[in-house]
Parts: sequence; structure tokens; C-alpha cells
Amino acid sequence: MSKISAPRSNREFIEACVQAGDAVRIKQEVDWENEAGAIVRRACELGAAAPFMEKIKDYPGFSYFGAPLSTYRRMAISLGMDPASSLPEIGKEYLKRTNSEPIAPVVIDRKDAPCKENILMGADVDLCKLPVPLVHDGDGGRYVGTWHAVVTKHPVRGDVNWGMYRQMMFDSRTMSGAVFPFSDLGKQLTEYYLPRGLSCPFATAIGLSPLAAMAACAPSPIPEPELVGMLSGEPARLVKCETNDLEVPADAEIIIEGEICPDYKVEEGPFGEYTGYRTSPRDFRVTFRVNCITYRNNATMTISNMGVPQDEGQLLRSFSLGLELEKLLRSQGIPVTGVYMHPRSTHHMMIVGVKPSYSGIAQQIGQLAFGSKLGPWFHMVMVVDDQTDIYNWDEVYHAFCTRCHPENGIHVYRNTTGTPLYPFATPQERKYSIGSKVVFDCLWPVDWDKVNDVPTLVSFKNVYPQDIQDRVLANWTAYGYPEVKK
Amino acid sequence: MNQWEVFVMDMAELAEGKDLALSIRTLNPGRHKYTYKHVRCQVSTDLDKHPDRLQVRMGRGQLSTAKFSIQVIEEIRRLPPQYA
Ligand SMILES: Cc1cc2nc3c(=O)[nH]c(=O)nc-3n(C[C@H](O)[C@H](O)[C@H](O)COP(=O)(O)O)c2cc1C
Repeated sequence: MSKISAPRSNREFIEACVQAGDAVRIKQEVDWENEAGAIVRRACELGAAAPFMEKIKDYPGFSYFGAPLSTYRRMAISLGMDPASSLPEIGKEYLKRTNSEPIAPVVIDRKDAPCKENILMGADVDLCKLPVPLVHDGDGGRYVGTWHAVVTKHPVRGDVNWGMYRQMMFDSRTMSGAVFPFSDLGKQLTEYYLPRGLSCPFATAIGLSPLAAMAACAPSPIPEPELVGMLSGEPARLVKCETNDLEVPADAEIIIEGEICPDYKVEEGPFGEYTGYRTSPRDFRVTFRVNCITYRNNATMTISNMGVPQDEGQLLRSFSLGLELEKLLRSQGIPVTGVYMHPRSTHHMMIVGVKPSYSGIAQQIGQLAFGSKLGPWFHMVMVVDDQTDIYNWDEVYHAFCTRCHPENGIHVYRNTTGTPLYPFATPQERKYSIGSKVVFDCLWPVDWDKVNDVPTLVSFKNVYPQDIQDRVLANWTAYGYPEVKK
Repeated sequence: MNQWEVFVMDMAELAEGKDLALSIRTLNPGRHKYTYKHVRCQVSTDLDKHPDRLQVRMGRGQLSTAKFSIQVIEEIRRLPPQYA
């Protein structure tokens, strides 16, 4: 693999974003209560530069970095690519790196780990010493974890999991969070810790390198520490926790160590969610008791503000869910041309391009997609042919409206796994994570006669001879039209 | 006077004249704003009845126009001792 020069820490990333004009330094004091959240939200809705807020009310010495990965430009920067890279180029690079050899992390000495510069233990532990923001007015609490990784380990198998599961501050030493039952941590808890009444050690790492954050929310089967290595082309630097055996990213800004309680639950939520709504109600959820906090000098807390498109939850999850599905479909020999999720679908619709080489291929794709680990996160799969540009919504929408037969082309699956956050789901479905799914088959049926039954697409590209197309393109400005930007 | 806030799904959860067990969060300014306590308390729509004020939000964060006074009788310690 050629040398990758991706930012190795949140600090390097902020610097790279500032250099590229993709982050702004905000010098004036910002309030942790709503104001910081509102800045991040507006930046997301405008697709603007990421706010680096250097002065926070009540918290001298701390700063915020908001909307870290809510544009494709910042995603390209995080991968060490040209910020102007196109989405298909970024996707290709992600696939190349995540199909490479795993790179094992290294564990460094604690004296070399920046995240150990300040250590709070015992009576000093107080989450309120961190600038935990009230992200949206009306949220159930101040959210400690909005762009972070919760690190845990399966005690028998030893599997390490880094997952981004939101965490609300309940009191100075307690957090509560929404860990879905089908997530890796959810399964670890229900499979091992809860039935045994054992507490589960955890460490929350905040202010990660952007690729570590990307790994924490990627639905990849590769263990996240290796995945970070593959994405960045070098081993992730980890360091052992102070109060348990977990290892955390040494360059993270803040580490919160503790235990997940099997026998104690406090309320969590409501919270502004990636669907663009507050859907899940307040409820008693997974509860994290904090035993130790470590942080860098002048620590920067990262904030993702989920709401209407587009924020990094939508952008990055759409990106990685789509590409992981592409890998899965290719591994099954399905002749896909690509898979794309538009972030504005709030990662609810997969668009799959395929060579329609046999009957039922759209349903096969849908069944694989919905039956996979990725499945609970979306409920629509739209399958288009290999001539349709999956990244061009105009083409996809045209295919959908003209080729999807209302009776034969729409396939509904009932009683599947869903998320409690689906805004359209009934209250009962939300409560029990029950989903339903739909495949939109926008392929011409293979048993139609290609000459007499399949309609001809009437477009500039499709109906004119090549020499005419070339002539018209060559003369376009001579006809009096302005030049068309590619 | 302390300012508190509570989340409810239904206003009936705030019955007057009864001992209630509620998770309430402080709205007093400062670093601990929005942290919770689990308390035994009494509430009243008569704002002069109890020493503190209670503001109410519904399940999805909507601020209610209803205002209460509240008397916090005691903090309920639910935390198992091994986590203290
Ligand atoms: C900003 C953000 C917040 C998220 N919050 C949650 C959450 O609260 N609970 C959850 O189960 N997944 C959440 N996710 C999705 C998980 O991070 C994602 O499923 C990830 O792959 C977790 O890994 P696992 O399920 O493979 O363990 C969130 C993702 C993002 C980007």
C-alpha cells in the first residue's frame, strides 16, 4: 500500500481542516448550554466549515470541535486524500484500505500517552468538570458521548469492540445510553454480562482521530483497532486504562473509565436523533458508572449534532453502510456495479446498481441486505440496473417512477428487526425494535423481450449516434450556450 | 429558591398532595446544571405552596406551560452500594 498521510489525532485533523478552509476557529466565548449545539446544527444544515470553539463558558482550557465529518471534503481530509475528491473516489479508497491486510495496534507506555496528562480518580471524579454540552434544547440531558467510542471486551472470546453509542450525563458519576440490542455491545451485554449479573468494564474515548471515530461507527466485522490501522496505514496507538484492562486510543482527548451496571438503570433521552427527529422516548437504559476520567491538557471535546440532514451520523453511516453492503454482495458473487446511500435518506434507503442477469436478483439483494448485520439500520432497498448512475438521484428517481411495477416490483417483508428510532414505526414496533422492509425492484424483468418489450430510454446519451453527440458537445458553446461544468 | 425540571409522558404523573418518586434535574446555573437526582417529593400547581419551582417537559422534550412548586423531601438512593 502506498504511504497514507492521514491525520493521526483529532488535533492534526482540526489543523488540516483549518488549512483547507474546512474548519473555522471561533475565538469568542461560546456557551455549552445550547449555543455550541446550535452553531454545530447550523453548520450541518448549511454544509459549512466545522466550528472549532476555543473558549467555552465555565470551562477555561477546554474547547469543542463540532460537525467533524459532516461533509465529504472533511471525510477526504480524514483519509489523507485531496479534499476535492469525489464521493466515488473516496468510496474506492475506503474499499481498497478495508480490503487490505489488518494492521494490529501497538500498546504504548502510559507516560507517552497524551490522554494521561490529567487523571481524576476517587472523589475527584465529576463529569461536570468536562464541558459536556446541552446539544439540543429539550434533550433529556447533557450528552457526553456524541462522537466517540465506547470500548469494551468480551471476557471469554476477548473480542474488542469500539462502538459509538450515545451517552447522556445523568449525574456527576453516572451516564446512560441507548445501546441497541442488535449492536455488538448490546449482544455482549445480553449474551454474557446481564445473565450473570456481572458489571461490564468500559472506557469511553472522546476526541478521537477521525479514522478511529469512523471505525467506531462502521458496521464492519473487522475489530475496530485493526480497522483503524487499515484505514490509516499504520498501527493505532493504544494505552492501558487506569482502572480496568481495556486499551484505549492514546491520542484521544478524553477517556472516561468505568463499569456498565447490570443491576442499576437510570433514565436516558429524549435526544435529537439521526432521523431528524426526537423519536425514542425517555426510558431506563444501559447505565454507565464512572470510576476515572483522564484527559489531555487543553482537551477538545468533539460534538456531533444529529438532526435534519446533514450531519456525520447520516453522512458517514450512509457511506460505510453502503460500502459494507457492496462488499457483502460482491462476496456472494452478485454482479453489482455499486451501492450508495444518499445521506439525506438519513441512511434509510440503499440504492444498489446491478447487472440484471437473472430473475429475482433484486429480491436476492434485498434479502441479503436485510438479513445482514447492517439490516436493522435501513428499511428500503432500491435496485436499479447497471446503466443507471446510482449517485445521480435524478436518474435513480426516474428509474423508480417508471420501472418499478406497483404490484410486481414492490416486495414487503414484515416482522423484521428495526430500530426504536424509526419515525414511521408504530409505538409498539419502536418499543420492541420491530421493523418492516421494502424492496423496490426497478429492473426490467429478464423474461421481457429486450427488443419488443423493454422500452427504449430516450436520452441524449442513449438515442443519438456517437458522431452526433460528439458534434453537439464540440459545438455547444458555439451554439451560444455557456460551458457546462462537469 | 431552587429550580428543577422533570420529564413526564403524562401530566397525571404529577399528582398533587401525594408523595411522588421523581427523577428531577437541577436548572440552577453553574457546572452542575441539568444533573439529576432521584427524589421523594410533593408538587403543587399553587406556586406558593412549596419552596422550590418545577418546570415540566413532555416525553419528546416539549416544554409544558404548566408550572409547579415542589418540596424535595429526601433523595432516594437507588444506587447499589458496590458502585458508590
Ligand atoms: C453519531 C452517532 C451516534 C450513534 N448512536 C448510537 C446509539 O446511541 N446506539 C447504537 O446502538 N448505535 C448508535 N450509532 C450507530 C453505531 O455507532 C453503529 O451501529 C456502530 O457500527 C456500532 O457498532 P456495532 O453495532 O457494530 O457494535 C451511532 C452512530 C453515530 C454516527
